[in-house]
Amino acid sequence: MKRVLKRLLSMIPVLLGVMLLIFIMLRIIPGDPVSILLGEHYSQDTIDRLTKAMNLDKPLMQQFFSYVLGVLHGDLGVSYIMKRPVTDIILQAFPHTVKLAVMAALFAWVIGLLTGIVAAVTQNRPPDRIFMTLSLAGVSVPIFMVALALQYFLAFKVKLFPLTSDGSLKSMILPAIALGWNSAGSIARMTRSSLIEVMQSDYIDTARAKGLRRGAVIFGHALKNAMLPVITMMALQLSSMMSGAVITESVFSIPGIGRLATDAVQNRDMPLLQGTILFTTVIVILGNLLADFLYAVLDPRIRREA
Amino acid sequence: MKIRSLLTTIMVSVLTAAAAVSVPADEGKVLKLAWSKDIQTMDVHRTTDNYAVPLSIFDRLLEVERKEDGSSELVNSIAKEYTVSEDGLTYSFTLRDDVYFSDGTQLTAEDVEATFTRMFALKDSVQTDFTTCIKGAQDLLDGKADKLAGLTVKDATHFDITLEEPFAGFLSVLATPTCCIMSKKNLEEAGDDFGMVPEKTIGSGPYMVKEWKTNDSLTLVRNPHSWKEPGNTPDEVVYKVYPEAASMNMAFQNGDIDILDCDFIDSSIVQSVYQTQYADKMVAVNRLGTYYITMNTQVKPMDDVRVRKALQMAINRQGILDAVFGGNGVLVDGIYPAGSIGYTEDNQGWLKYDPEGAKKLLAEAGYENGFELELAADSSASANRAAILQVFEQNLQEIGVKAHIENYDESGWLAKRKSGEMSSFTSPWTLDYNDPSNIIDTFFGSAESTKGRSINYEDTDVMARVAAARAITDEKERMAEYAALEKKIVEEDAAWIPLFSLQHQYVLSDRIEHFVPHWAGYSDFNVYGVTMK
Repeated sequence: MKRVLKRLLSMIPVLLGVMLLIFIMLRIIPGDPVSILLGEHYSQDTIDRLTKAMNLDKPLMQQFFSYVLGVLHGDLGVSYIMKRPVTDIILQAFPHTVKLAVMAALFAWVIGLLTGIVAAVTQNRPPDRIFMTLSLAGVSVPIFMVALALQYFLAFKVKLFPLTSDGSLKSMILPAIALGWNSAGSIARMTRSSLIEVMQSDYIDTARAKGLRRGAVIFGHALKNAMLPVITMMALQLSSMMSGAVITESVFSIPGIGRLATDAVQNRDMPLLQGTILFTTVIVILGNLLADFLYAVLDPRIRREA
Repeated sequence: MKIRSLLTTIMVSVLTAAAAVSVPADEGKVLKLAWSKDIQTMDVHRTTDNYAVPLSIFDRLLEVERKEDGSSELVNSIAKEYTVSEDGLTYSFTLRDDVYFSDGTQLTAEDVEATFTRMFALKDSVQTDFTTCIKGAQDLLDGKADKLAGLTVKDATHFDITLEEPFAGFLSVLATPTCCIMSKKNLEEAGDDFGMVPEKTIGSGPYMVKEWKTNDSLTLVRNPHSWKEPGNTPDEVVYKVYPEAASMNMAFQNGDIDILDCDFIDSSIVQSVYQTQYADKMVAVNRLGTYYITMNTQVKPMDDVRVRKALQMAINRQGILDAVFGGNGVLVDGIYPAGSIGYTEDNQGWLKYDPEGAKKLLAEAGYENGFELELAADSSASANRAAILQVFEQNLQEIGVKAHIENYDESGWLAKRKSGEMSSFTSPWTLDYNDPSNIIDTFFGSAESTKGRSINYEDTDVMARVAAARAITDEKERMAEYAALEKKIVEEDAAWIPLFSLQHQYVLSDRIEHFVPHWAGYSDFNVYGVTMK
C-alpha cells in the first residue's frame, strides 16, 4: 500500500515536467493558433486583437503558472480552436479509445499467447517455424498497411464488416485487429522465448521426473513462470493503446484521443494538447503501476523484497 | 418439453428479427456527405473556413445564385428589397415578414443589428476583413462604442446600413457566410455555447443542427419554421468525417457517400477511377479562384524585375495543369479568377513559357549561373499543391536556378508567410465575394497585406490606387482601373505568377437528382441546393 502511494506521489513531478516540456516545445516551434484560426485571411489588427483575446500576449511564465493553477483545480482550460472545455473534449473521445484499446489488447493477447505457446512446445518444428514467420510479419508490417489491407479486403471487397466505425462493436473488429497486430507479434515472440527458457530449468526436469504429463508440466509449472515478462509487456501495451492510436483512428474514422492530439499539434492548440498529453501520461503511469502490481501478485519474491 | 419451448422461442425471435430486417424503414431522404476533417465551430464569427453548416442553417440578406450556365447573380433573400443612396453610402433594406428562426421566433431588423454588432464586438471575432467598411465598425473593434453607428433600425422590417466610404462590392459581401443573420435572443441566451451546442445555435435557414459528435459526424434536419419550400431537398443530412482519403474513396464506392468532393481524393484516383468508370456521375464547376506562386521582392535576387520576369517565363503552367489536374482548368494571366467580375481575356499572353528567354533574362541580370531559392510547401495541404511545386522546382532547375522544396506544417508555414520572410510559395485564392477588390485588396491593397503574404511589393503608389479603386462609383471606370492595375502588377512589375483557375469536381451517387454547387466552387455548400430522388 505504502509502495503504491509512493508511486502515485512520484507522478506529480513527472506530470509537472511533462507540462513544462510541452509548454516550452510548443513555444519553440514556429507557428501559433492565431495564424491557424485566420488561415488565408490576414490583417495585423485582427492578429493583435485575437492574440490579446486568447491571452497569448501575457508573459510566458504567467501563462504557464495560470495554466498549472487551473490544472490543480481540475480545470484543463478551454481549447483555443474548439472553444470548449478540454476536459469535455477528452472525456468525449476517451470511450472510443478505450473500446478500441481493450478489443485490440484482447485480440493481441489471445492470438499472441496461443501462437507463442504452440511455437514453444513445437520448438524448431514446422508449426513453430510457421508461427514465428507470421509473428515476424506481425512485428514488422506497419499498422497503416495492415489497417488499409483489412479495410480493403474484408470491408470493401468482401462486405463482412462496416468500412468505418459507426460506434457498433462489429465495426471495431477490424480496427482492433489492425491495432493489435504488432502487439500480438511481440507477445508471441516473447512468450515463446520465455517459455523455452523456463522449460530448460531444473524444476521442470524435476516435474517431468515426478511422472507428470507434458501438458501438466507446461500449464501447471512452466507457463506460470514464463508469463512474468509477458504480463509486464501486456500491461504496457494496453496503456500505450489507451493513449491513442492515430493511424488506426484515422483509417477507420474513430473519434478517439489520438486524433485529438494530432489535431492539437497541427493547430498549435496549447490547452488541448497539454490536456491530452497530461491525460495519456497519467494512463501510461497507471499502466506501469498495474504491471508492477501484477508482477508482485504473481511472484511472491517481489512482494517480499518490497 | 422445456427444450422444445425454448426452441420455439428462438425460432420466433429469429423470424421476427428477419422480418424486421427485410422491411426497410422509411427514413425519408437522407443525404450522406463526407468531410476530411471535422469543423471547429458552427459560429461563423469564429471561423474563416468552416462554412458548410452556417451556409445551411442561417439565412443571409442576399444570396448569390448559380445559374445553369455557370454564371452567378446576386438575388434577394431575407431582404426582399433594397435601395442605395446616390452617394453610394447608405443602403436601405426591407426584410421579408415571414422569416422565422428554428425556435419559432420571427427574424426582425433587431436581429440584423445584433448580428452586425457582435461581428465587431466579439473579442475573438475573425470575420472583420470585409465589413469594417461599415460606419462605426472600427469604434466597436477598438472598444470605443457598444453600438454600431452605421446600422439604424427603423422598424421590425426596415433598417439602413451606412458605410464610411462608398464600396461597390458591399452588396456581394452581404451574401457571404460572414454575414449570416443570427438571432438576438439566441445570442444573448447561449453566450459562449453559441456555435458549439446544437440546440443553442439557432438560425432561420432551411436546416438546423440535430447532433454534433466531435471528429465523428454532424447531423442536420429540416427547420420546421423555414420560409423556404422543402421540395425534394433532403430531410436529413449526415456529414461524416473521413480523415483518410483512401477510406473516403472506398466509402463512396460502397454507397456510404452521396456527393464525393474530388478535392479530398488523390488526383490520380480521380483520373483513373472516377473519370473513367463514373464519367456520367461527375459534375464539374468553375472555381472562382486563382492559383498563384509568389516571389518575395526582399529575397535577393528577386528584387530585380528581370529575375522575376525570368521566373514567370520559366514555369510550364500548361504542363502542370495537365499533369497534376488532368487539364481541368484554364490558364490565367492576370489576377482575377476566370469567370469572375473583372476577369478579362485581354491579358492572355502576358505570361509565356519560354525557358530560353528566361535564361537570357537571368544572364542579363547577372545570374547566368543561377541562384538558390527555397520553395515553401505546406505539408498539410493537398498532394496536388506539393506536385505544383515539384514541377516548378524542375522548371527552375532547367534555367539554372537551384530551387529546393522545404516542408513546413500548416501553422509553421502560415507563421513564416506572415512574417514576410518566405521566399516563394504556391496557394489558391478563391473569391469570398464576386468582386475584383476581394483578391487584389488582399494581395496588393496595402504594405501590410503584401508583407503578410511574403510578397513585399514595393510600389506604394499602386497600393494606394488599389485601395482607392474600391470607392469608384462609376462601374465602367472602376473596372478599367482594376484592369490597369492588374497589367501594372503582373505584366510590368512581374510581382506574382498567376497559374490557373481550376474546375472543382464532384461525383454524385444515384440518389442525387440535382446538385447546385457553391457559386465560387467552395467545398462547402448550402444543402438546400441538393434535391434527391
